Amino acid sequence: MKSSKDRNRLLRIISLCVAIERKGENPFEVGVKEALETLRKYLPHWKALEDFALDAETLNRISSIVSLQGNWIKHRSSTLFVDPLLIELKVKMLEPEKLLQIFRRTWRPVIEMDRLSKKRVLEAIDYWNRLQSLDERLMKLPEPTGVLDLTSIEELIKARIINEESFTALLQKFWLELKEKAVGEGRIHYWDFIYAPSYEETVVRAYLTSFLVTYGFATMEIEPLEEETFLVPYMELRELSFKEQMISFPISIDYDIWKEMAEGR
Amino acid sequence: MAENTGAYVRKVKRAAKIIFYRRHRQPGVKGWELRRALGKEYVKIVDLLNQHLSSIGLQVNTVYEGSERPQNPTSEQLDRARFYMAVKEPLTSSDLVMSGWRVDDVAALVVAVSYIISKQGKAARKDIEQILREKFPKWRVERNLNRYIRQGYLNEVDDVLYLDWRARAEIDQKTLIKLVIGGETSPSSDQTATTP
Repeated sequence: MKSSKDRNRLLRIISLCVAIERKGENPFEVGVKEALETLRKYLPHWKALEDFALDAETLNRISSIVSLQGNWIKHRSSTLFVDPLLIELKVKMLEPEKLLQIFRRTWRPVIEMDRLSKKRVLEAIDYWNRLQSLDERLMKLPEPTGVLDLTSIEELIKARIINEESFTALLQKFWLELKEKAVGEGRIHYWDFIYAPSYEETVVRAYLTSFLVTYGFATMEIEPLEEETFLVPYMELRELSFKEQMISFPISIDYDIWKEMAEGR
Repeated sequence: MAENTGAYVRKVKRAAKIIFYRRHRQPGVKGWELRRALGKEYVKIVDLLNQHLSSIGLQVNTVYEGSERPQNPTSEQLDRARFYMAVKEPLTSSDLVMSGWRVDDVAALVVAVSYIISKQGKAARKDIEQILREKFPKWRVERNLNRYIRQGYLNEVDDVLYLDWRARAEIDQKTLIKLVIGGETSPSSDQTATTP
């Protein structure tokens, strides 16, 4: 390492680039030429791997700024360009009622409909008819012996029922398999993916698939009209966003469906 | 000939169902889904559907990836675009009242969206909060921004706000900016061009 002062210089360039990128400020505020000259000047002196990594990170950030500069010019020449200060001034001057009128003239609300298919209604009726009353169901439950809750993977790992490394590796392998099988259309029919020669294995695959979807390795596409479910693998692992509304989607791993599939193959 | 017409009619009906009924968490469908269901000529089918919808004040909106609509979209751009069913003409004041929006909620949304557009599609949340707090109390500003995020108008990543799918699908951005700058909102000039 040449000196910590030089390293700090690169860190300052990185933080400036990050700040510009995040705030959407004018990317021309970054002196790209000077930054590149600094990198060129320091490069022959770097010895340690971490210094080269820092150098590469700085170069990466500068290249992002160059890309932003291109977009900035494109935006300025587009019809949508307007000085943010002018907008700020204008919206501060406009009364809420005026803003309401502006919104009314520019808003074209999207229209959509939820609907139930005949098949789903019949399933729901059948379910309702079979469902025992709440009192009867509660009577069958054993007395609670402690705090009841769903067992999470973390708890299973903690209890040493499963091994964290092996489970993660298994998920990764499973993810790779999903990505390979979904090549082309980018998705695969749910049952085509979970199907295995034995029913037990199919259930295990369905169980693992639920983790792929919950943990951000893949998502599900449901086509209510066709009543079909597809799995869409993500190429990169997605961070879970709890700001978005999460939904649960139960799928019955019905033995009869599996049997039909097995007979059809 | 009659067979062809029949096939087109069936496809138009199918297109209406696919676009109209909710299939995913977001309304509308991607172009590639329409291509799969309707065949290569799906854009023509959507045009035919639009002709029918026009008489009842609706239209299919196409929202492309990125902020600008391409002049001559390629088949790849169309495949990645999202098709929505939307209202064709601007709403009347009474329609807007019926939609349940409060005047201050709408005002805050217009301020946030127009500021984000002027900042090339993203702006620091605190900058928008600062502008809004000149006229609204802090709690209302926070509640409103969180609500717009939940509704899909805005998206927040690391304290930076972006326009999300609903703003891009429902708000005619060019007209919005023009009106904010011009400040002219006379009810007689309601014939704003609709986004195709």
